[in-house]
Amino acid sequence: MKAIAMRLIAVLVILSLVLTACAPAATPAPTQPPTQAPTQPPTAAPTQAPTAAPTKAAGPVKATPGKKVDMVLLPKFLGNIVFDQAYAGAQEAHKELQNPGQLQFLGPTPENSVAGQIEIITAATTQRVNAIMISNNAGDQIVPAVKKAREAGITVVTWDSPIPSAEGEQVFVAQVDFNETGRVMAEMALHILGEGGGKLAILSASPDAANQNAWIAAFKEVLKTDPKYSKLELLDIVYGNDQFEDSYRQALALVDKYPDMRLIMAPTTIGIAAASKAMQDEGLCDKVKVSGLGLPVEMVSYTLNGCAPEFALWSFTDLGYLTYYVTYLLATGAIKGEIGERFEAGRMGTYTIEKDPTRPVGLRVLMGPFSIYNKDNVEAEAK
Amino acid sequence: MKFITRILRPEQVRELVTLFLIVIIVLGFGAFLKDYYTGRTFVRISTSIAIIAVVAMAQTLVAITRNIDLSLGSIVGFCAFFLGVQLSYHHEIGPVPAALIAIAVGTAMGLINGLIIAYGRVPAIITTLGTMAIYRTAIVFYSAPEGGIVSAHRLPLWARQFASWSIFKMGDLDFRVMVGIAILVVIIFQLILTYLPYGRRLYAIGSNPEAARIAGFPAQRIVFIAYLIGGALAGLGGYLFLLQYGNLMVLAGVGLEFDAVAAAVVGGVNIFGGTGTAIGAFLGATLIGTLDYSLRRWPAISEFWRNAILGLLILLAVATDSAIMARLRLMWARAAAAMTMELAESKTSSSPQA
Repeated sequence: MKAIAMRLIAVLVILSLVLTACAPAATPAPTQPPTQAPTQPPTAAPTQAPTAAPTKAAGPVKATPGKKVDMVLLPKFLGNIVFDQAYAGAQEAHKELQNPGQLQFLGPTPENSVAGQIEIITAATTQRVNAIMISNNAGDQIVPAVKKAREAGITVVTWDSPIPSAEGEQVFVAQVDFNETGRVMAEMALHILGEGGGKLAILSASPDAANQNAWIAAFKEVLKTDPKYSKLELLDIVYGNDQFEDSYRQALALVDKYPDMRLIMAPTTIGIAAASKAMQDEGLCDKVKVSGLGLPVEMVSYTLNGCAPEFALWSFTDLGYLTYYVTYLLATGAIKGEIGERFEAGRMGTYTIEKDPTRPVGLRVLMGPFSIYNKDNVEAEAK
Repeated sequence: MKFITRILRPEQVRELVTLFLIVIIVLGFGAFLKDYYTGRTFVRISTSIAIIAVVAMAQTLVAITRNIDLSLGSIVGFCAFFLGVQLSYHHEIGPVPAALIAIAVGTAMGLINGLIIAYGRVPAIITTLGTMAIYRTAIVFYSAPEGGIVSAHRLPLWARQFASWSIFKMGDLDFRVMVGIAILVVIIFQLILTYLPYGRRLYAIGSNPEAARIAGFPAQRIVFIAYLIGGALAGLGGYLFLLQYGNLMVLAGVGLEFDAVAAAVVGGVNIFGGTGTAIGAFLGATLIGTLDYSLRRWPAISEFWRNAILGLLILLAVATDSAIMARLRLMWARAAAAMTMELAESKTSSSPQA
């Protein structure tokens, strides 16, 4: 009798779990786009006529709202709050432009980032979405998948982290100038360590991350070429793979490896928070400071207690918003992705497509600038 | 040989081998790394294995019964998140009630696993693969109103400082509270597994389920309770996780279930059931933790190599288990047989005179 009752409960539990599991999938699976209705988007015809006459007007290109563009926003991986913020920005633009198409936020899990990104792009290509926005975490390994997408007529824009060779990518929306990032990191390091400089190490995300690698390269370049930073000595670069536990351990191993190291520079939001917590737990904050790129909401307690006196970041919401505008304009044919094209991106104002000076080839739209956080402004920003 | 077989069981030989490997690793790296023999090294390694040791204990319990729990990492993550959000709003919750909250939530999640596996008769690997994803999604939904994170600066002061609480300190050598908790858990479960009837029945079910059933053991209930306790331990793991890392993302604890399997297997727990001890799993976690820390400090080793070496270690452990342990058991069985023969002979030789 009791056993039967237990089995009944078990079956009920299974059923309820299955039901709850069906509703929201853990990783939002790429859903089939609604079957392409043969009806023309009603807005397409009337809007095209009036814009046809003054094509080569000097003013910046404006987006025509209401066109149907199915889009995929692809972060490096799911579960990092900055990518959620970028998605929120893209949603804001999606609403503003009254796009009747779908905006999907699809991403791999962190441990499967490279393969997962390629998989999502391939799936999006077969499903014939109109545009993909990629924060590339796969280096040039992503090129074949992206090229297929381009051949299928899909607009491909990168944001946050570009394709190093720029192959298959139409334009890259850069959060900040990557060379500038190197200088900002060096500036913060010098500010924290004082004019005498000192030894520091870098705790990065994954060895494949194009943006982190570009920033580190820029940082090294600044240290080498600018005599102002000649007193800063880079000891080592280690990787925490954007996992908190891994980064925490890497930070402590650095301290043990280099007894005279005085600063850990982490150009990744997870790395900087993990390193700060590690220094705090081990009572090392007086000896080893932490700096880099961090989220105010995650860093506030470490900035106030002096473990991470200064760090920098930009708005990921704005980055998502701007990326959406660029992609929408490209996908609707309003801009072509050529050097010198000017366009308006809603509330953020006018931007210009330019040659990307941080890569041998490729185009970019530069957002900028940096916000520097310290004990005076971090609390207000963390709210 | 006779002496060894009399005072040691094969499992204990296996534990000694693990211990021996730890000593070799420490001596080896100590010869090359500067400032390796310091209290600091102890602090680093001991704090890095505290969480994994607790979770490995949960994995060991179910592994002994020929089951597996892949949802442990997600349970750890959810409990950490749940507690983190509660603490963010209720600063009056102290360390002990906080631990109880996390353990209660973990037990509830273990209960779901246990019901499905023991009474629903669904294979453990399928069930927990499913609940792993479901519990992870639960974190996503539960944390959504909080912006998907727990932020350290919103936790009460004690929770922010817990990770550096110390039981005793001698210069650099610092024995942390969280390490103490982990070791206490290991000792308790070693005693349960060795001396309590419940513990012995876990082995009986794992080594021969059919025989255990015929002998009248309530196999379903025993497996069910194993998952319940496993959930509770994962809850405690979640508590430690929150206190060690402070800032949480929705991916908190991802992969911990596999680290727990690795620790258990390296420590001699057979994932096909029937063998393994709490101390063994703890030694396995220590071995991996020691190697991991030492390789991180090694200048020339990239992280790819670190992962490869750790993987190699797991393979080696499994290989030794299947090859050497079988031989050891045979030797022990022979020695035992020889002993009874001797006894019998001495009896027969002495009986005529009586």
